[in-house]
Amino acid sequence: MLRVAVIAFLFLWGNAMANELAIGHVKNVSGDAFVTTGGKKTKADIGSPIQQGSVLETGKKSSMGVIFKDETVMSFGADTVFTVDEYSYAPAEKKLKFGSKLAKGSLNYVSGVIEKLKPDAVTVGTPSGVIGVRGTQFLLRVEE
Amino acid sequence: MKTLLSGRTNTSAAPFACSVVAIATMTLLGGCTPKYYVQQGPCPTCEPAPKSYVVLIPSPDGTVGEVVVKGEKGEQTLKNAGQAALVDGQALQIDDKQIKQDFGSTMAALPTIPVRFVLNFSSGITLSPASAALLPKIIAEAEARPAVDVTVTGHTDTLQTFEYNEKLGLRRATRVADQLRQQGLKANSLSIESDGERNPLVPTPDNTFEPKNRRVEVSVR
Repeated sequence: MLRVAVIAFLFLWGNAMANELAIGHVKNVSGDAFVTTGGKKTKADIGSPIQQGSVLETGKKSSMGVIFKDETVMSFGADTVFTVDEYSYAPAEKKLKFGSKLAKGSLNYVSGVIEKLKPDAVTVGTPSGVIGVRGTQFLLRVEE
Repeated sequence: MKTLLSGRTNTSAAPFACSVVAIATMTLLGGCTPKYYVQQGPCPTCEPAPKSYVVLIPSPDGTVGEVVVKGEKGEQTLKNAGQAALVDGQALQIDDKQIKQDFGSTMAALPTIPVRFVLNFSSGITLSPASAALLPKIIAEAEARPAVDVTVTGHTDTLQTFEYNEKLGLRRATRVADQLRQQGLKANSLSIESDGERNPLVPTPDNTFEPKNRRVEVSVR
C-alpha cells in the first residue's frame, strides 16, 4: 500500500515538474509526432509539455502545432526535426531569448512577445545558415 | 535527392538528374514552369524546385516584419510579403503555387493565434466594472482552444515598496484567476505570476501613481 502511495506521489510530482518547466505545449497532432525531452521520447498528444532542449519530430504525412509561453505559434509539416536550444521568457527580469534549430522538414512560424520586447532575441538555425526573426510570420523548409 | 545537387558539378550524373527533375516537376505542377528558380543546375528549360528556403508572409494581424537570412553564400533581408531566400543566403523568386505545394499541410496545422487581455483595477484588488465584464469573453476564448494554457500576471505601479508590490501583483493575479475559475474556466495549465512594479505599461519614476500600471494581463493560448 505504501509502495502504491509512493509511486502515485512520484507520478504526480513528475507531472507537476514537467508542467513547471514547460515553456510550451502541443496543440494539435495529425499522424505520428514525438517530443523528446532529456533523452526520453514520448508520443506527442494535445497538451504535451515542451521544455528547453526538447526535440520535436513528425513522421511521414504528419503534422503538429505548438504554442510557447510568450505566444509564439508554430506548426510543423511532415518529416520534421526541430530543436528548442534556448528559451527564456521573463520580461520583468529582461531575460528574453529563443534559439532553435530546424534540422529538416517544414515550419510555419508566428512571432510572439519575446521579439516584440527584444528584437534580435530570436533565431532559427538551419544546416546551412541562421535566420533572425523580427516580429512576423514566415515559412521555412529544409530538405536534406 | 542528393543527385540534384551533385548534378551541378558531376557531369556524368547530370542527364539523369535532369530527366528526373523534369518528370517530377511536370507531374507535380502539370507543366514545365521555368520562371521560379535561380539559375543553377544543368537543366536548360526546367529548373528543379528549391529545396531549402524561407518565405516572409504577413502576420495574422496584417503587419509584415522582417527576416534576416545569413548563410554560406550570403545574406538577405526579407521585408516584403512573399519575398523569399534560400537558407544559404541567396535570393530566390518563388511563386504561390510552389509555396502552397510545399507548405499547404504545414499551414493547415497552425494553432489558433493566442489572445491577451489587460484588466484594470478600480481599487486594490477589485477589478473595474469594464474589466470584470471581460471575464466571460476570456473564458469564451479559452473554450475555443484545445488544451488551452492560461497565464495570469499581476502588475502594480511604483507607489509602495518593491516587496509590497511583488505581493500585491500576486494578490491581483490570484483574485482574477479565482474569478475565472469560479466562472467556469478550465485550462490545461493555469499559471499565476507577479511582475510587481518591474514591468510597467507606462514607465514612471518611483513612488508614482499610475492607474494604467495597476493591471493583470491574461494570456490565453
